[in-house]
Amino acid sequence: MVYCIGHSIISPLGEGSQANFEAVQAGRSGLKIYSDRFADVEPFCASLFDTPQDFVELCVRSAQQSVVSLQHSAFSLASKDTIFILSTTKGDNLNLLRPAQQIAAHFGNPNPPIVVSNACTSGVCAQITAMRLLEAGLYQHAVVVGCDLQTRFIVSGFQSFKALSPEPCLPFSEERKGLNLGEAAATIIYSRERLSVSGERCWALEAGAIHNDANHLSAPSRTGEGAYQCLMDVLQGVKKEEIGLIGVHGTATLYNDAMEQTALERAGLQEIPRSVLKPYFGHTMGAAGVLETILCAMAVEKGYVIKMLSGFGGVNAAIRLKTEC
Amino acid sequence: MLKTEHYIVITPRSVVLNGKAIEVNETGSKMLVELYRRYVGDYPKFFKMDTLCRLGFIAAEILIKESGRSPDAVILANRSASIKNDTDYLATISEGNYYPSPALFVYTLPNIVTGEIAIRQAIQGETAFYILDQEEQLEPIILSTLHSKRSTVLAGWCECSKENEFYAKIQLYGTID
Amino acid sequence: MEQLIEQLKHQIIEALNFEDMTPADIDTDAPLFGEGLGLDSIDALELIMLMDREYGIKLADPKAGKAIFQSVRTMAEYIQANRTK
Repeated sequence: MVYCIGHSIISPLGEGSQANFEAVQAGRSGLKIYSDRFADVEPFCASLFDTPQDFVELCVRSAQQSVVSLQHSAFSLASKDTIFILSTTKGDNLNLLRPAQQIAAHFGNPNPPIVVSNACTSGVCAQITAMRLLEAGLYQHAVVVGCDLQTRFIVSGFQSFKALSPEPCLPFSEERKGLNLGEAAATIIYSRERLSVSGERCWALEAGAIHNDANHLSAPSRTGEGAYQCLMDVLQGVKKEEIGLIGVHGTATLYNDAMEQTALERAGLQEIPRSVLKPYFGHTMGAAGVLETILCAMAVEKGYVIKMLSGFGGVNAAIRLKTEC
Repeated sequence: MLKTEHYIVITPRSVVLNGKAIEVNETGSKMLVELYRRYVGDYPKFFKMDTLCRLGFIAAEILIKESGRSPDAVILANRSASIKNDTDYLATISEGNYYPSPALFVYTLPNIVTGEIAIRQAIQGETAFYILDQEEQLEPIILSTLHSKRSTVLAGWCECSKENEFYAKIQLYGTID
Repeated sequence: MEQLIEQLKHQIIEALNFEDMTPADIDTDAPLFGEGLGLDSIDALELIMLMDREYGIKLADPKAGKAIFQSVRTMAEYIQANRTK
């Protein structure tokens, strides 16, 4: 078990986890129609920053923000006991390693950073990697930063896949037409020790699992096999009544939502409240797993939170958080 | 704790399995096709794969065939993600000639190679891809993965920066009884 | 029509990376999906792009592709009737 000792979200909806949480509570959405953001691509609906952001600068700001409330002598971003883990799919203009190195270097961190690039599941997989490295005793703290910015490259590709909805997405609706893309940076700092932060509720990452459907590269398994196996793994030792919330992926593509519904039913979790955040932020890719984990944990005062994701390459991932610790 | 049982190294001019060279006639990406014909032959999807996937796929195929072991997890890493295929996809969206190719776009994620191996080998366990500066960084990640569960892991380095510039060093790891 | 079918077969082999296959190996009337050539969903999207690139035909609704992509012949007939280049 590792403890969250700080977090941050920067999205078109606001600066900081609290501002983003309040925006969602108020029902605000970052989704807009863009018709001339990128050359050649058809008009698309997405949640984008008003002004183009610098990838590294955005990640640095997010990491910086996550330590603001953390005044603890046992923690330092520059320490050799702290590892930086970047979750991203397309990084800084197709470069993934260099921005991670620049972020770590900005804080004077001596450890070579780790980049997790596991398609849409990256943000959850990065947290699992953090948990394992800390539990193995290799580091005391892990700074998990998730970030992706939208480009002509990404939007054109999703359009060629006919995966984008031209309107705000409708997860789990029969009317759903596809996903919306989004931009964000989010950070969670995990620690082996519960370093108390004044005025903030603590939560912990207890378990995680990754499973492949072994079925198809771009379409999820019809039986939700990988997602189901992830759920069964993270449910071990937990009573269903103790689960407060399941943060689903809910991209609003035809097959993803049907697959998740199947996996949740097979695991007997269909009655448990779900959090679906894509209508507010779009699919923020490498940031999604981190951003959505933070907002789910903030929403539940008592009980377990499950966060699940699925993505290209047939990969599925889930984690279990304990919100009172 | 961590035991290396079998390993394979593939470069554009050589294939070495458990320290022994495998004879090849071709070089570069043609050599990967030669290996496919010798070791697989009946999986036409191979020809749809980008070079990174062909490299990882063929390395996994030979390693698993020759060792008789069936891994339940695939963990790969490299420095340059899917840059070779990213560049190929970019060519399909050049201004004035904008026809984005979905068949290329699907390979613009580095973890797709782990998915191709999982599909071929029916592996429903963990698949993951890491971008790292040095090969040595992968060892603690594999170690901590094995730490959390008993399994046989197919893991290693799988890099392709250009059509004929690639390097794979993939091993089978397992917990000692 | 026969010329278009032949040309289309070449383009399909090229676009879908059918190594070692020649136009003669593709049955003009055999189903492209399922049995027959055994194409999958990504191939279908690639065929939609091929229609746009080579013949200036834009298929907005992927579901409309089902009838068009039944066989090489149905594709060729649709192209002949709708091509803009």
